[in-house]
Amino acid sequence: MKNIASFLQKMTLSLAIVSVLGACDDFLNTPPQGQISVDAIKNDPNAAETLVTGVYNNLWDANMHGFSYVGLTNIASDDADKGSTAADGATTYGQMDNLTADPSNGLLNSVWSAYYRTIARANQALDKIPLSPAPQATRNRLAGEVRFLRAYCYFNLVRFWGGVTLLSNLPSVDELGNPTLQKRSTKEETYALIISDLEYAKNTLPIKGDASTAVGRATKGAAMGLLSKVFLYQKNYQRAFALADSIVKNQAGSYSLLPAYENIWRAAGANGNESLFEVQTGTNLSCNAAISQYTVCQGPRAGGLRGWTDLGFGFGGPSATLLAEYETGDVRRNATVISISSTSGTVLWDGFRVPRRDSVENSFYNYKAYHSRTAEPNCGVNDRLPKNLRILRLADVILIRAEAAFALGNTTTALIDINALRKRAGLKDLTTIDREKIWKERRVELALEHDRYFDIIRQEDVQAGRAVDAFKAHGKTFVKNKHELFPIPAVQIQLSGGTLTQNPGY
Amino acid sequence: MIKLFSFFSLLSSKIILVILFFYCGSVWANDIKVAGTVSENGIGIPGVTIKVKGTNTGALTDADGKYNITAPDNGTLIFSFIGYDTVEEAIGNRTTINVSLTAASRTLDEVVVVGYGSQRKRDLTGSIGKVKGEELFKQPVQTPTQALQGKVAGVQIIASGQPNSQPQVRIRGIGSALAGVNPLYVVDGVLTDDIRNINTNDIISVEVLKDASASIYGVRAANGVILISTKKGKAGDVKVSYDGMTGYRQAANLVQMADRTQYIDYMKEIAPTVNVAGSAHAFEGTTDWYSAVLRKGQQQNHNISVSGGSERSTFYISGGFIVDNGIVTTNDFKRLTFRFNNDYSISKRLKLTTQLSYTRGNEKGVELGDTYRSVYRASPVVMAKNDAGKYGNTSAFGNVGNPLLSMDMRNERNQSNRFQGNVALEYSPIEWLKLKTAFSADNGYGNNRVYLTPFQTDLNTYITSGGNQRRLTSQLNLTDNRFLRWIADNTVTFAKSFGKHDVTVLAGSVTEKFTANQITGSRINVPVNPDLWYLGLGNPDSQLANGSTGDLQTRQSFVGRVNYNFDGKYLLTASLRRDGSSKFIQRWGNFSTIGLGWVLSEESFIKNNLTFLDFLKLRGSWGKVGNDNIESAAYILTAGVNIPYYFGTTIAYGSVIQDIKDQNLRWEASEQSNIGFEFAALHNRFSGEIDYYNKKVNDALAYKIIPAIFGDPDNQFLTNVASFVNKGVEVSLNWKDKIAQGLTYNLGGNISFNKNQLLGLNGGQALLAGSVGQQGLITRTDNGREVGSFYVLNAIGVFQNQAEIDASPVFGTRVNVKPGDLKYQDIDANNVIDANDKIYAGSYQPKAYYGFNLGLDFKGFDFSTDFYGSYGGKIYNGKRAFRFENTDNIEAAYADARWKADRPSTTDPRIINSATPASTYFIESGDFIRLNNLTLGYSVPKAWLNKINIERLRLYLVGQNLFTKSKFSGFSPELPAGPLESGIELNTYPTTRTVALGLSLGF
Repeated sequence: MKNIASFLQKMTLSLAIVSVLGACDDFLNTPPQGQISVDAIKNDPNAAETLVTGVYNNLWDANMHGFSYVGLTNIASDDADKGSTAADGATTYGQMDNLTADPSNGLLNSVWSAYYRTIARANQALDKIPLSPAPQATRNRLAGEVRFLRAYCYFNLVRFWGGVTLLSNLPSVDELGNPTLQKRSTKEETYALIISDLEYAKNTLPIKGDASTAVGRATKGAAMGLLSKVFLYQKNYQRAFALADSIVKNQAGSYSLLPAYENIWRAAGANGNESLFEVQTGTNLSCNAAISQYTVCQGPRAGGLRGWTDLGFGFGGPSATLLAEYETGDVRRNATVISISSTSGTVLWDGFRVPRRDSVENSFYNYKAYHSRTAEPNCGVNDRLPKNLRILRLADVILIRAEAAFALGNTTTALIDINALRKRAGLKDLTTIDREKIWKERRVELALEHDRYFDIIRQEDVQAGRAVDAFKAHGKTFVKNKHELFPIPAVQIQLSGGTLTQNPGY
Repeated sequence: MIKLFSFFSLLSSKIILVILFFYCGSVWANDIKVAGTVSENGIGIPGVTIKVKGTNTGALTDADGKYNITAPDNGTLIFSFIGYDTVEEAIGNRTTINVSLTAASRTLDEVVVVGYGSQRKRDLTGSIGKVKGEELFKQPVQTPTQALQGKVAGVQIIASGQPNSQPQVRIRGIGSALAGVNPLYVVDGVLTDDIRNINTNDIISVEVLKDASASIYGVRAANGVILISTKKGKAGDVKVSYDGMTGYRQAANLVQMADRTQYIDYMKEIAPTVNVAGSAHAFEGTTDWYSAVLRKGQQQNHNISVSGGSERSTFYISGGFIVDNGIVTTNDFKRLTFRFNNDYSISKRLKLTTQLSYTRGNEKGVELGDTYRSVYRASPVVMAKNDAGKYGNTSAFGNVGNPLLSMDMRNERNQSNRFQGNVALEYSPIEWLKLKTAFSADNGYGNNRVYLTPFQTDLNTYITSGGNQRRLTSQLNLTDNRFLRWIADNTVTFAKSFGKHDVTVLAGSVTEKFTANQITGSRINVPVNPDLWYLGLGNPDSQLANGSTGDLQTRQSFVGRVNYNFDGKYLLTASLRRDGSSKFIQRWGNFSTIGLGWVLSEESFIKNNLTFLDFLKLRGSWGKVGNDNIESAAYILTAGVNIPYYFGTTIAYGSVIQDIKDQNLRWEASEQSNIGFEFAALHNRFSGEIDYYNKKVNDALAYKIIPAIFGDPDNQFLTNVASFVNKGVEVSLNWKDKIAQGLTYNLGGNISFNKNQLLGLNGGQALLAGSVGQQGLITRTDNGREVGSFYVLNAIGVFQNQAEIDASPVFGTRVNVKPGDLKYQDIDANNVIDANDKIYAGSYQPKAYYGFNLGLDFKGFDFSTDFYGSYGGKIYNGKRAFRFENTDNIEAAYADARWKADRPSTTDPRIINSATPASTYFIESGDFIRLNNLTLGYSVPKAWLNKINIERLRLYLVGQNLFTKSKFSGFSPELPAGPLESGIELNTYPTTRTVALGLSLGF
């Protein structure tokens, strides 16, 4: 007993002394539980690959390509009306439709933020790809894909807002308060980054169908197609033509027009021969593998007598001027427009019957955005119906080639291109061609495919007065030197302390 | 059972032996008559108790202080009087014994636990409140925390009536918005934030460190520290005690809802097209949904303890059992606690102590949110349930789901097990040096099981079929969680007096590690039979929400403290804690305090001139404490994983690095100063403390918005930018005295005034919180405001006619505004009522809160009562504001008061619907005063008890929360919630009233 006591006494003494003296910083180093730290991901051999997938994932963001995006593209243009009920979204989407958006319109900030989120993910991926143990070729391909996506984001940003803040690397957290980071670059500087990204992508990406790539990833053809569009916006018709021409000539992969126009936007046409780049979707267990609300925001909406389970919110239906643009017999009209019959129900291609007009809120809806709940894959969540968003397809490239060719005086090619599309549309060949006809063809071929607003602004630059006229016909007032660009979101200007400058007219 | 019996027989034989010993003792003594005077400074004191030691023989002094008593000639007399030091005098054959009593400084000599040590109360320089365990046990409530309500100045406790719920505690106001605001608890050295495992009957005392004296707990002490000490055995006879009570609880206050007539009348207004009375789902009567869902809940609390020991070892063993059947029919709670506290003197210099407890809780849970809110909303014209067991179909009627059905179809069980305790070795090689090493652990594991029974909209369930309240598939959700916290303390204490200098020095280290993990699983289509409520029996193809999470925290600390006392007059306390917390990259911080005290009553100029004063001390303290009560690893940049994307038909899982974090995140730092004085006067009958404090929190957490170009998902990050202040005054006063023959009484009270303010966000974002249905978030915490201020439109009356509407700005679409609607103030005078017209309309934080008590003892009867209340807080009547469907029921009082064309009102609108915005109309006064406890007891005289070998027998009747005077129209002005959303009555479990009969028995 004595011994035990003396042992315990000594132990107490030594414990007390030792622990008073000893401190161990390692003990305080506790890694986060259940979360992968950035330091850990740097050492992950798969990180390069997974971070790139993470960039693609943001293409599903509601504000990147969903409801707000529809607002800033289709609804803002003369292709579509706000739709829905008069009150629903009146102050947000209504302003877009009427060209009265002010800097505090929330959609602007949502879209702005979403694109920069994708860019931030892209920059993170570009930062880590060089650390990957993967072969050089793989790293180049991954970097090419990311730069393609970054260029796509900046291309939309420059078309929405003009020269924007350029971030092509990762600012450290301490730098966030630095106002010079937020300074707007010029439109030219923005385009320079877009072009350099796309040139890099064009040089490093494999062609569509190559064994080293997978369906849905950015390809050489996609990079070239987007680059040719960028050059069209730059009025560099030489390069626009050259790039579009080599795509049409299948020098960057094998592409062809789908025979049936109506299939382009259906599951049947997903990743088809005509597709250069589209946002991929699927049906996973969580049922979130799709663009948030893309389909449902544009779906037919119950109104009046109601009495049916409707398909959506009823926004962005085709406008009167778009409907008037179709020639008689153009198959594209019925593939683009859901017309609600005033006498009987309208039966959609999959057999779904929308009741007659007195039970539906609007007369017309976007058919391209329709996704069948019965005949196309889905996992039951209406907000995430797996519709692939077609970002670039061959018909677009053909129209670029036609427009560039015409600008370069090559009317023969322009006429061939336009007639190729008219043929599929069930229309007679044109015998003569002019810019007006190319632009009209562009409008109906790509109706409600989110490019119209940008096109009008671009065309205004080529032929002054065009935008004012188009919007006048649409019943809206386009103000020159103002409506070419959207206002920079007020909150972002505020956060920059004024470094970020507002666009003219706002 | 046999063992137990033999144990008790052993005990009783021991008791008999002890009694025999005393009996034998008196055989050889001769009784004599003793007389004398008891005086103070030569003046006789009336009412002094004189007792013969070891017997029940006693006498009292008369008005002149004289007494007479018969006692054995070799016995001892004990002279005692409240407020005076007790004196023992051996008779030694004397027949006249005059005694002079001196005023005791009893409360001041009391020892107070201060963290890693204890001090005499008179030597404290900080503000520390103490409550004895017996005071707490008087309250028939479940947690020791709730029992503290109103007992300590500066400590506000907000509790609900829900069994096993954790009350919210605010010590000297709210010092944080986003880090925790509840105090740190230390149970026998174990640091924790939850003491629901502690049996109140095991507590010997609770100390509350309110000011910077808490800095001995460093980075965790900014919200104050509550120290809990549990009972120990005493050398001597084995004592067996039983303390128990049984009674029932019921809702303290219910809101009267509209009856059928009032409801139908209202429905005509709000939804003229709905045929209420003619609905197939309605019935002829009125359903009182609260009586359908609530009940009187039985309550029991039984405690048995055995304690005792010898010079070398003591023990205290207890077992407790609580049954608290909540007042909601599907709710109940049972808790079993065991405690083993043992002390062993291994040698003269070495002591081993152990304090161990085990608690098991078993709760049948009730979902408060939706279901309980639906009780308020349910239509009175639909039957709750008929005699055949079928439910009224409220949803088919167009109303909320039948809440009784929702509750019956949900089966939740929560089981928890917790071991907590410590083992310590104390070694004192020389008298003035003490080395202590202690190891504490807190280990808990529990599980939660929720089974949702499927049911259809058919006649098997309902009286009438239809509607949308159904559950197509059953669902089983299981959660298992466990945690372990261990703490190793090593301290060295040096205590020595050098003449008039008393010095105590403490140094030590503390190491702490906390790990927790949780695993959840969920399946649908699990059979209804409870024996089959296992994941494997559910549908294997629809695995829902399986997952696991974990936590890991470590802390390493060094503590040091010096207490210096010169001549009992001048006091100094200084402490330093160096804390390292794993939650930050800048891990180490120093937290220090300095306290000074001056015992003025020891100075001759006071002593000689103010003779009525027994004690007067002026003290002040200043110090720094921290608050690291934030999520672990909040500063570490992490990657999101399993981010899906499809490539063609193949899913790929990606990762993202996007969350921007402040990698230099720190604890919130609080700077606290306190100045106060303590006094005792009039022979210690009157005593009190007054304190002024100023607590300033710097580096408080707030969200800072960052430009979207940096790609953060919510464009904001958490950082240390904000600052808060709490200033206040606390007063506690006590009076105790003895009057007439054997009547003693005490009176006490405390009041605390606090002013809370958010000083600056410094670029951080104002915090919006407090969600009330369609009205959105109704509180805003911004510069210069109180935390959790209500931020709503200012309702300035009711439109009486169309002309008035036409002449005023309105909220919403003008054509929809009708006479009888609320009128709002156009603050920005732009002729539009919108979000820019919101005003700050106060917060739930009271301007003052108080408690007071009275106790009387007379000839074995004891009576005690305490009250507490609060003043100056506001309550948002969220349940009234939350209107979703027009068919939601209304309160009877509102039905009678609302504007009608033939009965105009200037205060209450004609309808409240989902378009009614948040406004001051829904804000009510939170002032209340509550008769918290009323106890009447009777102790059976010892003379009778001795005959049956019982030492103590007391019977008592106790009532808890018998009466509340409140201006608030809702269930309860007590609304526990987080700091940003306090004071919104939406899903509140009503506070309860308890009436119980108790028994204390000791032998």
